[in-house]
Amino acid sequence: MQKNSNPKKNSTHLELLKLGKIFFKEKKFFDFYSKHKKSSFEAIKNINLKIEKNTFVSIIGPSGCGKSTLLNLIAGLQAPTSGKIIIDGLAIKGPGPDRGVIFQNYALMPWLTTIQNIEFALNTVFPEKTKPDIKERAINYLRMVGLEKASNKFPKELSGGMKQRVAIARALSINPNMLLMDEPFGALDALTRSYLQEELLSIWRKNKVTVVLITHSIEEALLLSDKIILMSSGPSATISEEISVDLERPRDRQNIEQDPKYLKIKMRLEKHLLRETRAVEEVT
Amino acid sequence: MNKVISKRLTFVVTILSLLIFIIFWQIIAQQGLLVKNFPGSYKTINALIWWVSDPFFDNGPNDLGIGFNLLISLRRVLIGYSLAVLVAIPLGVLMGMSKLAQSSLNPYVQLLKPVSPLAWLPVGLFVFRNSEITGIFVIFITSIWPTLINTAFGVASINPDYLRVSKSLGASKSITIRRVILPAIMPNILAGMRISMGTAWLVIVAAEMLLGTGIGYFIWNEWNNLSLENIFVAIIIIGFTGFILDQFFGFLQDKFDYSI
Ligand SMILES: Nc1ncnc2c1ncn2[C@@H]1O[C@H](COP(=O)(O)OP(=O)(O)O)[C@@H](O)[C@H]1O
Ligand SMILES: [Mg+2]
Repeated sequence: MQKNSNPKKNSTHLELLKLGKIFFKEKKFFDFYSKHKKSSFEAIKNINLKIEKNTFVSIIGPSGCGKSTLLNLIAGLQAPTSGKIIIDGLAIKGPGPDRGVIFQNYALMPWLTTIQNIEFALNTVFPEKTKPDIKERAINYLRMVGLEKASNKFPKELSGGMKQRVAIARALSINPNMLLMDEPFGALDALTRSYLQEELLSIWRKNKVTVVLITHSIEEALLLSDKIILMSSGPSATISEEISVDLERPRDRQNIEQDPKYLKIKMRLEKHLLRETRAVEEVT
Repeated sequence: MNKVISKRLTFVVTILSLLIFIIFWQIIAQQGLLVKNFPGSYKTINALIWWVSDPFFDNGPNDLGIGFNLLISLRRVLIGYSLAVLVAIPLGVLMGMSKLAQSSLNPYVQLLKPVSPLAWLPVGLFVFRNSEITGIFVIFITSIWPTLINTAFGVASINPDYLRVSKSLGASKSITIRRVILPAIMPNILAGMRISMGTAWLVIVAAEMLLGTGIGYFIWNEWNNLSLENIFVAIIIIGFTGFILDQFFGFLQDKFDYSI
């Protein structure tokens, strides 16, 4: 485990420098004659951010503001129009196995069993590893999320929560040091969601990873994060505030609501979200 | 309990309707209600039994057992169809993945797709000077479009999440095609292959009337013999074979149905 050999905290893991993304519309034949010149859309603009190693960061903002866009840029799935993404001191050029991505809709391949889904990731990232090695590693990660018994089941036989656990196991199996999650629990019922939140926390504690979590739930952000990033409404969304959550861990989800510190931050977040959402609703 | 009864009921109803049909057919034919000398069900069933009980005899090209004729047709369809699928799938993937390939190939596809494949028959005869190869060629042209179009559509409408997973892992283009795109579009490919097979089986009968040998030629030959009951025998056998082929693809489609 090489990443444990350098447990220097407070070193920057991820840095975003003047990051911007403009979506250019494809020019169709008839657009040539049309008077509308609006052929591009600036989703995010001038994003500057520093994230320390092994911290848990949540990004929150009104829907449609560009959270997914930002995460895709960090994952290397899309190229920024301007600015830089620096990881461990180096500007990234594309996706890489140092980052594990977890999507809202689980994104499991339906023609593969749960273990095969993980093996696909392992085979792709570690082509030099032998079949038995890959299999053993896949089983270990399934066990970590408590699903080794479901290893030969197909995704359609699993509940939403189980599918997301497989997706988490897949993302972790390639041993990334950063987990990028796009509203991973948004589609789950409340009980499953809190169960998976706890599981994520324990994985985060054990695996020493930096987590960037996109969420629209203020409670989720408060319960899990060290730092909460607030985004303004789009278009040309940017970071409007960074809030440190200095609540003690482990956080007790039953009694945390009585903590005045918790309530203070929560109110601040609610105010911000209300203001930004109003901005969105009044424009459209 | 209810399900068992309804299943048995549908079986009984099916048999009953078949019996009623056969009886009416016989009555109508016997009374000469349609035209004179129209073969009744009794004569047709007897002919069917005669042909099926000895399907493999060979007394020259105009007196061939129906089993041989069926095998000749199936062989032409299978060769032409397999070649078409081998061309259509890679070409469809290419068209689905690349805008350039799409815009350069699509005009030909759109122009040629609505043309009856029989129009290619003289072209085939002129080029190949061989009726066997021409038959295969016509089936090839017939089979290519549905599989090609379905494959291209499948690639273009693939769930972007799968591609994002693949990309985020740093998978190469070749791994993405083989391990993500092809399995993801299997339902589309099979749907296309099913339509291709259905059309190929329709077209082979018509093509063979002009080519000699095969089940289509059998029909043409029996028309020259004015033996309508033998034509009905061929229709029944063609229909049954087409049904089996279609069921086979239905079975494959169920196997590759990923939906919940
Ligand atoms: N590929 C794209 N092409 C054009 N516009 C896009 C594209 N992806 C996202 N957008 C636009 O960018 C904005 C931000 O989208 P997104 O990042 O998905 O928001 P969020 O995840 O915060 O809800 C939206 O207005 C969306 O319509
Ligand atoms: Mg989003």
